[in-house]
Amino acid sequence: MVEMEQLQKEAKEILKQGKVKFVIGYSKGSQNLTATPVFIKKPEHTSRLIWDPTCVQNLVKFIVDDKQKQSREKKPDERPVGIVVKGCDSRAINVLIQEKFIDRDDVYILGLSCEELGVVDEKKIAQKLEGKKIEKIEFAKKNNLIVSTKDGEKKIPVKDVLADRCLECKAHFPVIYDQLFGEETEREVKEPYKSIKKTESQSPKKRWDFWKEQLEKCIRCYACRSICPMCYCDECVADSINMAVTAETTAEEKAQKIKWIERSPALSENIGYHLIRAIHLAGRCIDCGECERACPVDIPLRLLNKKLEKAAHELFDYDVGFDHKKPSLISSFKDEDPEDFIR
Amino acid sequence: MTKDFEPTIVAFLCKWCSSAGSDLAGVSRMKYPPNVIPITVMCSGSVSPLYIFNAFQKGADGVLVSGCHPGDCHYIKGNFYARRRIALVKELLDFIGLESERFKMSWVSAAEGTKYTEIIKDFVKELKPLGPQKKLRRDQ
Repeated sequence: MVEMEQLQKEAKEILKQGKVKFVIGYSKGSQNLTATPVFIKKPEHTSRLIWDPTCVQNLVKFIVDDKQKQSREKKPDERPVGIVVKGCDSRAINVLIQEKFIDRDDVYILGLSCEELGVVDEKKIAQKLEGKKIEKIEFAKKNNLIVSTKDGEKKIPVKDVLADRCLECKAHFPVIYDQLFGEETEREVKEPYKSIKKTESQSPKKRWDFWKEQLEKCIRCYACRSICPMCYCDECVADSINMAVTAETTAEEKAQKIKWIERSPALSENIGYHLIRAIHLAGRCIDCGECERACPVDIPLRLLNKKLEKAAHELFDYDVGFDHKKPSLISSFKDEDPEDFIR
Repeated sequence: MTKDFEPTIVAFLCKWCSSAGSDLAGVSRMKYPPNVIPITVMCSGSVSPLYIFNAFQKGADGVLVSGCHPGDCHYIKGNFYARRRIALVKELLDFIGLESERFKMSWVSAAEGTKYTEIIKDFVKELKPLGPQKKLRRDQ
């Protein structure tokens, strides 16, 4: 079991010693449901840090933000950032190091093991409670959550409300850390790719109908891109803006600028955008599920990424984020890569 | 409807092998269907998934990516990278429900004019019963 006091103590210690410029962690959410990310700069504030199954966010995005901010500063603060990570988030850090976006020394990682559990899915809890407001949520004995509403306490088995990604998680403890809290317990995952199984087993026509219905909904708010720790390009191919338009720019020059995807939320453009995003995340997505959580129109975006994760695992024996010293999926190859689809 | 349908194939051919292979088919006066729009690229490894998606968006009924045989790449290993990337693109297009016949990859060397014509013939034959590709296409 992860002791919250230990985490707070360690955070306090590293802040006191000046090892880190601040610690990014979770604190109690205003709605008492999901936790809120918190930046702690002073040692006396570390008591705000919490750890429970409502800590759903992937905080690694804030490291990316900080790195980008520092790169624009005249005098960048190069001290490391302290960060609280779960197993999945730690793999995101691994990928960022692998891609040389950050150095290992840029982060001080406080790793938390999810042990037998994981994080909850807000939507699943909301369904269970039939619209009642949550006042408090906590763990009881191992497999139960106690959720208090104004009508009293309700016991919910954790398995019923765990996020899908947690049920399919291969490593629920950090793979890279400076301090580990909790234990690296073994957990059997019977169906690591359960969520895509249904879609995969359907006929192409059914699959197309499913995705057509889903992707037609997309309003192109780019929330999935904004929240993704791997989407750190300064300029995105989906809305490239790097053409300097001056008074001398001719209409022809403007017209000839390649636009891979139009901005209109038409089906074809939406599919183009989501396919490109999925491909750009192939071998990089660590399945934190943030894109799906952030999506305002509930597109099951995780499935696209999970599919490519599965392809990478099955075709190329590549598991994302476990070793930052290995070359990445797309920048490497093996002689024995499958080529039965090539004539 | 499918009787008169002539599919459009966009073929990304690597400059050093497949493009020369298609040239050989041409200068040898080999007959093959005129449905192909060849686009010469420097290497099959330079074919971004964007090109493929965009070809479909602009109305291609089939897309072919063709490069040198493994080990023959002018840039030593470009086609190995392509092989990995195209496999992923293929998985993804399959997953969203595009007919898997619509997207192909082949190795065609500069000496294989006959193979190139065979590939195109078979590709056209396979695409005809499928009808026009409307799934990813723009403006409809």
